Amino acid sequence: MYQYNADDTAFLVERVDQFEKQLNRHLAGDLDAVKFRSLRLRNGLYMELHAHMLRVAIPYGILNTEQLRALADVADKYDRGFGHFTTRQNIQYNWIELPEIANLLRDLSVVGLHAIQTSGKALRNITADPFSGLTKDEVEDARPYCELIRRWFNIHPEFSWLPGKFKIAINGAKLDETALQIHDLGLNIVHNEAGELGFTVYVGGGLGAAPMVAPEINPFVAIEDIISYLESVFRVYNLQGRRDNLKRLRIKFLVREHGAGEFARMVDEDWQQTKDDPQLKFNMQELAKLKQDFTLPIEPLELEDFTDTVDFNYSIWKNNNVRAHKLAGYSIVNISLTQLGTAPGDATSEQMRMLADLADKYSNSELRTTKRQNLVFPYVRQDQVFDLWQALEKNSLASPHQGTLAHVVACPGGDYCDLAKAVSIPIAQQVQQRFDDMDKLFDIGPININISGCENSCAHHHISDIGLLGLKKNEKEFYQITLAGETLYETAIGRKLGRSIAGAEVVDAIEDIVNIYLDNREEEESFVDVFKRIGIVPFKEKVYG
Amino acid sequence: MVEDSEIITVIDSQGNTVELVSVEQWIEDIDNLTDLGKGVLIKPADDVELLRDSLEKIVFIALDFVGFDEGRGYSQAALIRKRWGYSGEIRGINAHLDQLQFMLRSGVNTYELQEQYQGSDEHDYTNGFSICYQAAADNAGMKQKF
Repeated sequence: MYQYNADDTAFLVERVDQFEKQLNRHLAGDLDAVKFRSLRLRNGLYMELHAHMLRVAIPYGILNTEQLRALADVADKYDRGFGHFTTRQNIQYNWIELPEIANLLRDLSVVGLHAIQTSGKALRNITADPFSGLTKDEVEDARPYCELIRRWFNIHPEFSWLPGKFKIAINGAKLDETALQIHDLGLNIVHNEAGELGFTVYVGGGLGAAPMVAPEINPFVAIEDIISYLESVFRVYNLQGRRDNLKRLRIKFLVREHGAGEFARMVDEDWQQTKDDPQLKFNMQELAKLKQDFTLPIEPLELEDFTDTVDFNYSIWKNNNVRAHKLAGYSIVNISLTQLGTAPGDATSEQMRMLADLADKYSNSELRTTKRQNLVFPYVRQDQVFDLWQALEKNSLASPHQGTLAHVVACPGGDYCDLAKAVSIPIAQQVQQRFDDMDKLFDIGPININISGCENSCAHHHISDIGLLGLKKNEKEFYQITLAGETLYETAIGRKLGRSIAGAEVVDAIEDIVNIYLDNREEEESFVDVFKRIGIVPFKEKVYG
Repeated sequence: MVEDSEIITVIDSQGNTVELVSVEQWIEDIDNLTDLGKGVLIKPADDVELLRDSLEKIVFIALDFVGFDEGRGYSQAALIRKRWGYSGEIRGINAHLDQLQFMLRSGVNTYELQEQYQGSDEHDYTNGFSICYQAAADNAGMKQKF
């Protein structure tokens, strides 16, 4: 597995030292709150409702067990014994005391973890397919590219004070697990007609109050040219993006204002002047080295006499949580952190340590995190999946409802977040209570429900089968419902069902929507396919009728 | 920097007094202002492309970094220094302590901090890092990993 060398670790420490000085100047009254805010956000630190929240990056969603144990230690030492795995391959702590922040970050730097650019108007942690390197139909493992691009834009002198935040996703698989086109910039790794590898570039996606699917601005940028091309996108945005209107800061507004064609032309005009600069060529030697570092740590296995255990509960769990691996003899195992009665994505320090122990035993000491707030064991021997299930079951982590409607994705919501207009976690729990019958859940199948507590859309409600957005009207909590958003095969923003619904009635509305789906479903038809066939009207009539 | 009614003067790093004009004034009267040895003061909203063809006639460039979250100056500096190869002095004025490292690597070579930072230890913010992960106008003798 790829790890930072001494120079990288030294950099992390230097960064903490600098941030500590800034913090001390702030506490001494020498650095005002507005400037300190801009600086602390670039170090992942938010001022929340009750305390400070720290967002720690999990680069390309990969953790080794040493890192996971360090995250557990941080939860105990500096927080209240738990962390929240987010939808964007980060982990958040909600109860951090300001004076302790530098020590916390130093503890993390020891295991190569950091909170650099996890917030603020700069390039954020790059999202990668959590199954990178593991599946058969992959074009290319995205992780080495994620790392080289992450490095390049790490406190970049020219592009660290952008008009708004900037999120990149890189996908190397046929199925898009990253939700590429809802990012400010998406890179899809493809082959051109000559069989060479490169990137299709999408710019200007985003959720929030004005959701937009990113249009393609270049069908093929060669690998070696991607740094200069990205710099040109950043430069056009840095110089021409809106800075005057707080609601128009993201690059999607610049793309929309000019149109994708004109925006692409502006980028190209800049790029023609830099694409031959040898300093800006992708470092192919370093890429080759990184590919080596990211090579799978396992060899194919011959399991000739193996037959899996037959057990009713195990089979149900396995059906929803175990995926095929590209290497013979191995499986990919999903572990749902969303338990009935707990907040989606939350893990206690005890659970983190237990998962680290299990990953040491069953998954080559490596885990991945996903946008559905799960952990993934990437290298489980097929003849050990049953043992792993038993261990998870013993620790109440063998939830079979991953991939069913009861696996709700939710942001921390009004219980924790200063920005939230409404709660999310209690609604998620009500949904889980309403649909607690496993037989019914299996009959319903894989419907996604995502609940965001405000327009910032942290829970990605726009791209869910059933999306809920929290609103406040006359001091009461309401939810706007959207239907049939998707990203896996194509990208579409969910359609608004109608007027928003009071918190007390929203679970009834969800049940109505699910029933319309069931009444109209033909064979194995998915929610999105039913919606496309019958339209929004039957859903409207049932909910508002 | 002295702001006397509309005339702004600076003393450059060689000790010469230079009068600054706006980008607009410069473009309108390049030949005359060249003869007078004027410098140019660039504001964040200015289009630096306009200066491209007459860059070497400008004796001194000041870039205004007054807004903390206003990041256009870094791209302006990078274009002028790295892409167009301007060899004269580029001074960051109204500069913020915490942003010196970004300015200096983007092509600014002298700076004038805002008054609020007087007495601060600048070294922490000009030389805080031993490694850089990207090529820029100035890699400042850091270890290069890119």
